[in-house]
Amino acid sequence: MKRSTLLGLLALPLSAALIAAPWAHALIAARATPQLQVPHGWPAPHYNFAANPVTPAGFALGRRLFYDPILSRDGSVSCGNCHQQFAAFAHLDHRVSHGIGGVNGKRNTPGLFNLAWQPELMWDGSVHQLELQPVAPISNPLEMGGSLALAVDKLRGDASYPRLFAAAFGSPGVDSQRLLRALAQFTGTLVSADSHYDRAMQGREAFTPQEHAGLDLFREHCAACHREPLFSDFSYRNNGLDAAPRDAGRALVSGHPGDQGLFRVPSLRNVALTAPYMHDGRYDSLQQVLDHYTSGIQSSPTLDPLLANGITLNAGQRRALLAFLDSLTDDSFIHDRRFAQPHD
Amino acid sequence: MADRAARLLAAAWLLSLAGCSLGGAPAGLPLRIEISHVVGDAPLQLGNTYRTAAGDSWSAERLRYYLSNFRLRRADGSWFVNPQSADSSRGYFLVDEADGASKQFQIGPVPAGSYSGLEFLVGVDAARNGAGAQTGTLDPARGMFWTWNTGYIFFQFDGHSPQSGDAEHALSYHVGGGGGATAHSVFLPLPAPVEVTADTSAELHLHADLARLFDGAHALHPASLFTAMDAAAAAQIADNSAGLYRIDHVHRLPKAGLAEGS
Repeated sequence: MKRSTLLGLLALPLSAALIAAPWAHALIAARATPQLQVPHGWPAPHYNFAANPVTPAGFALGRRLFYDPILSRDGSVSCGNCHQQFAAFAHLDHRVSHGIGGVNGKRNTPGLFNLAWQPELMWDGSVHQLELQPVAPISNPLEMGGSLALAVDKLRGDASYPRLFAAAFGSPGVDSQRLLRALAQFTGTLVSADSHYDRAMQGREAFTPQEHAGLDLFREHCAACHREPLFSDFSYRNNGLDAAPRDAGRALVSGHPGDQGLFRVPSLRNVALTAPYMHDGRYDSLQQVLDHYTSGIQSSPTLDPLLANGITLNAGQRRALLAFLDSLTDDSFIHDRRFAQPHD
Repeated sequence: MADRAARLLAAAWLLSLAGCSLGGAPAGLPLRIEISHVVGDAPLQLGNTYRTAAGDSWSAERLRYYLSNFRLRRADGSWFVNPQSADSSRGYFLVDEADGASKQFQIGPVPAGSYSGLEFLVGVDAARNGAGAQTGTLDPARGMFWTWNTGYIFFQFDGHSPQSGDAEHALSYHVGGGGGATAHSVFLPLPAPVEVTADTSAELHLHADLARLFDGAHALHPASLFTAMDAAAAAQIADNSAGLYRIDHVHRLPKAGLAEGS
């Protein structure tokens, strides 16, 4: 007892002195900076930050850029406009993305998490490397409507960005590589791996009997495409939405007629938060999604063979599957203040 | 003790030798490459009208492409590989008909020797194409980068043809892009061996004949092929783009001459 009191008395002024020290601020900043840590049992990521090490100033710059409409042509739309943290960085209640001037995009805004493990990005896999992804929305007339060159020019002329870029990369200069690498430090460290499912798999929490039944059903009917632990095999498939696809999907990128109407299998992590669903956001609820897989599959030449006969579920099984899908929600991820819009 | 001192001296002598060859005098002289765009025997004029062998008319408004991965073949069959570095765009050249400075550049330093051929890629190698955000000539903000299927545009020809099926009679021949597209390799034998010595280099003057874009390995017809922006549609254009080049002539270039210009 005596000893611990003594230690406490010593520690109090010591910790006050530590917080005052400049290197303590650096320590606090480092703690506020996520690093890409591979959760137990996960594969190696595709994007590993080897050429773009995450630093406190680099991450802070990426975070600020993510939430700053300066990247759009008219300064009206930021990445964070359509990627909302409370929706696991999807766009709640919006079937398709909304760009500058109120124009509608063509596809549903996907959630952003575990992107470092995605071999390709976008619904059709048109982006082959995480750093280059922002070039697509920045230059898409239906999204941010500008260009990479314009965004760099605006950042160079800004009152504070040149200083933030210098701090992040160790020398003066604003260019597209630094812009894209800073954004990757933010988007690439958005890791969601702390759901009830994860805790249950680690033995730290227990599934309810209903959730466990849902896990069994999931593994029987869904896991061939939505493969654990990332809940996607990152393949492109036609899941039977239309007899004649209205969006050519993967075929636009590959040029193969056999890829008509194929889209990337999305991860189901945080799926309860990312409504509406499908590449065009046509379904508002997971109930509608299950209706589709049980009774709505449309046959077409490119329909995925695994879905040729749909999925059969009774009412109790549907409830169990939905309970399991709810267990994939990662509350600590959507409340992680490091990923929230900065207030400075 | 004396033995040990002798060994240290020997080591120091060896180190100083290594210092001379590695860090001291440069390992060779740069070799200059100049490119002229022509149509047949005449210089290409942007906006001028030309005719294909089949009688179709065409004009060029914009011509840009990447050249990279330069190698020089020695008489004995070995190669000098032009250095490229992962953290810069050194060795990647963006040639633009509208930018005179872009049509003359240097590779090297090239070690002394006798060289019999020049090889390069029209475009960007697959490794660099998929390597993430780049700088310099490879900065995607230069507009030679596809966003709907990420990757560099290897070769870009924009022009017009009255025969073009496009509503505005435009021609848009864009080669390259993502999905692991492979850049075409070009090998040009040198008309006579080029000697690089301690104080003499050379300038290789290349002609790129745009007539061969339409009348090359494939005959291209603007009526049926006017827009190509994906690998399948651009396959014939890609083949032809690799057949534009020839060595027109070679200058000897004294060391003093290399100091001028880039």
